[in-house]
Amino acid sequence: MDLPTLKPFFEDKPELLQEILDRYPPNGRRSALMPLMWEVQRAERHIGEARLHEIAEIVGVTVTEAKGVMSFYSTFHEHPVGRFHLQVCRTLSCKLAGGDELYRALVEETGLVSGETDAEGTFSLQNVECLGSCGTGPVLQVNDTYHERVTRTRLAELFAEMRAGREPVPTRERGGDNVSADKAERVDAPDGTSVDAPDGTSVDAPDGTSDEEGGVA
Amino acid sequence: MSTVADKPAAITSRFDPRYEITLYRHVGVDGAHTLEHYRARGGYRAAEKALTEMTPTQVIDEVKASGLRGRGGAGFPAGLKWSFMPPIDGRQRFIVCNADESEPGSFKDRYLMEDDPHQLIEGMLIAGWAIQATIGVLYVRGEYYVAYERMRDAIAEARAAGLLGRGVFATEPDGEGDEATPASPGFDFDIILHRGAGAYICGEETALMNSFEGLRANPRLKPPFPAQAGVYGLPTTINNVESFCSVVHIVERGGAWYASMGTDDSKGTKLYQLSGPVARPGVYEMPMGATFRELIYDLGGGPTEPAKALIPGGSSTPLLPWSDETLDLPMDYGTMARVGSMLGTGGVIVIPESQCMVDAMANVVRFYAHESCGKCTPCREGVATWLPKMYQKLLAGLGTRDDLTLMEEMVRNLRGTAFCPLADACAMPVAASFQHFRNEYEHLVDHGAPKYPTVSRWAE
Ligand SMILES: Cc1cc2nc3c(=O)[nH]c(=O)nc-3n(C[C@H](O)[C@H](O)[C@H](O)COP(=O)(O)O)c2cc1C
Ligand code: FES
Repeated sequence: MDLPTLKPFFEDKPELLQEILDRYPPNGRRSALMPLMWEVQRAERHIGEARLHEIAEIVGVTVTEAKGVMSFYSTFHEHPVGRFHLQVCRTLSCKLAGGDELYRALVEETGLVSGETDAEGTFSLQNVECLGSCGTGPVLQVNDTYHERVTRTRLAELFAEMRAGREPVPTRERGGDNVSADKAERVDAPDGTSVDAPDGTSVDAPDGTSDEEGGVA
Repeated sequence: MSTVADKPAAITSRFDPRYEITLYRHVGVDGAHTLEHYRARGGYRAAEKALTEMTPTQVIDEVKASGLRGRGGAGFPAGLKWSFMPPIDGRQRFIVCNADESEPGSFKDRYLMEDDPHQLIEGMLIAGWAIQATIGVLYVRGEYYVAYERMRDAIAEARAAGLLGRGVFATEPDGEGDEATPASPGFDFDIILHRGAGAYICGEETALMNSFEGLRANPRLKPPFPAQAGVYGLPTTINNVESFCSVVHIVERGGAWYASMGTDDSKGTKLYQLSGPVARPGVYEMPMGATFRELIYDLGGGPTEPAKALIPGGSSTPLLPWSDETLDLPMDYGTMARVGSMLGTGGVIVIPESQCMVDAMANVVRFYAHESCGKCTPCREGVATWLPKMYQKLLAGLGTRDDLTLMEEMVRNLRGTAFCPLADACAMPVAASFQHFRNEYEHLVDHGAPKYPTVSRWAE
């Protein structure tokens, strides 16, 4: 009987495999475990049993060990996630910016609860913990991309994009000292003298005070 | 006791005219992540100075003189930590950068990596030289994909420009006779960029090392400390992203300059993060010892609704009740310890009056429960199982006064009994919420409903 077999993932990617293995010192081959898992997951949206066997063999550990590592980390998936993996932060700062309501809106919109993927494989919904973007909450991570300050209106726009099959483009939310217009900069001119950057030397901060910044020169 | 009359007063306010934004100079500026941008503004000059004009010991002494304390949460003096490395004995040594940033309320390292990756590379290069480690490991949390890409590209740029790799800042022999400087082979240094995969515990330094080695990220028993047995069992020093970035400026401008900012036990400039209902949340760079009031009102524009508490340094640090006294406290290590809390990562979260405190703490507890690695019994049973269940019971309106006493006792028993500080990170804020807001817990169990019902917080 002919069983259908999967072509090994790294079979036709010898350079990539070598590049990953070469990142680590010879005594640290095992360090390649997670990077190899990342490659598979980015391509296939999960790490299936066969891939796990393949990776374990490459690195030289038992499948059980590889499985033990994989199961430790919440972002490695045993089963495929949807085309749009919706990861909504539910931790405190996002909660204070409406994270709970954002989650409920996502439940209504997709008909899923956290941990589920729809039958078409379009959406997966997952509650996640703090994404390190607490100043611009609530945060929704779609696949690898952060969408910050997701308002009700913005969420509707995101879904319009995704339902049309397009990866939504994030708006780059800023706050605090990340607002570049408020920052003065000095550039060292090629001749070594300091010149003021084209964006001005000293711009009023939002509160009306002025941040003077000196060059390091 | 000694006040030297002609010594200028230390800078402890962002509005002091002598204060300059330093770590965050390039953040938020378009294109700042490129090598070209960085070098045009004096980038890598500090590394060149360290590697060509200073001995490793001199670099460590400068960092000691600066008073820099680690910015990853514990505030351990950086120069002192570097001096713990064993004498050079031919074994590979590692310098590790902890970029796992996952303590709720903390979001400074992400912007440093996204917008100024070369500053971090330069800091790691200098630190590598100081402890004579030729391999740097940069462990970035898995969710930070933009930061990962920016760091990957910046490392490639630095390699191509000879700022990483073999013979960094190698020199030809120069001059003749007595004036001659001999050729220098330069310093061999490269960085391995490694992505995590979503586990808060990977921020704990020994768990991070296990994770890097391709193991489950359980913490290791200490001692041995990383300096003795770190990555692959070899001598290792680990610091936070912001710590490395600070070192660049300490080398460039001197430890004394750095120490001219801050308070007695906390020196330099620091990235504070502000979240919760305030007009302008975000990361603000301020000198150590600036007050909560300066951060929350002068920079952050003040709360958008009445507040009742603030969390000073990430969700593991015990909250402080909102008051004029609290707002006027300097945000430094010593002061926070004195008032029974911690500076942590400097991630300030404002908690509004209308937010049920029990509900807020249930959220914090759920985080630590979710992130417990399950290795040791107190944390697995206490943090990951019991506490969240107790909060569920309370919020369902089924709690009793006895439950409250039980919870307080449990939290006391958790303190200091777990294998790593994660359990304390959960127990401390819970204890503080009981200390300051027991009335809300009591209201909930007595009435079966919270004192502050849920309100909508989501913007249209
Ligand atoms: C549970 C736990 C989580 C931690 N998470 C982080 C983290 O995300 N980032 C970080 O820099 N340090 C974190 N730390 C602190 C590190 O263990 C370590 O002290 C720090 O990286 C040392 O760097 P520093 O001396 O420059 O602060 C964590 C510690 C514990 C116990
Ligand atoms: S709480 Fe949501 S990103 Fe930190």
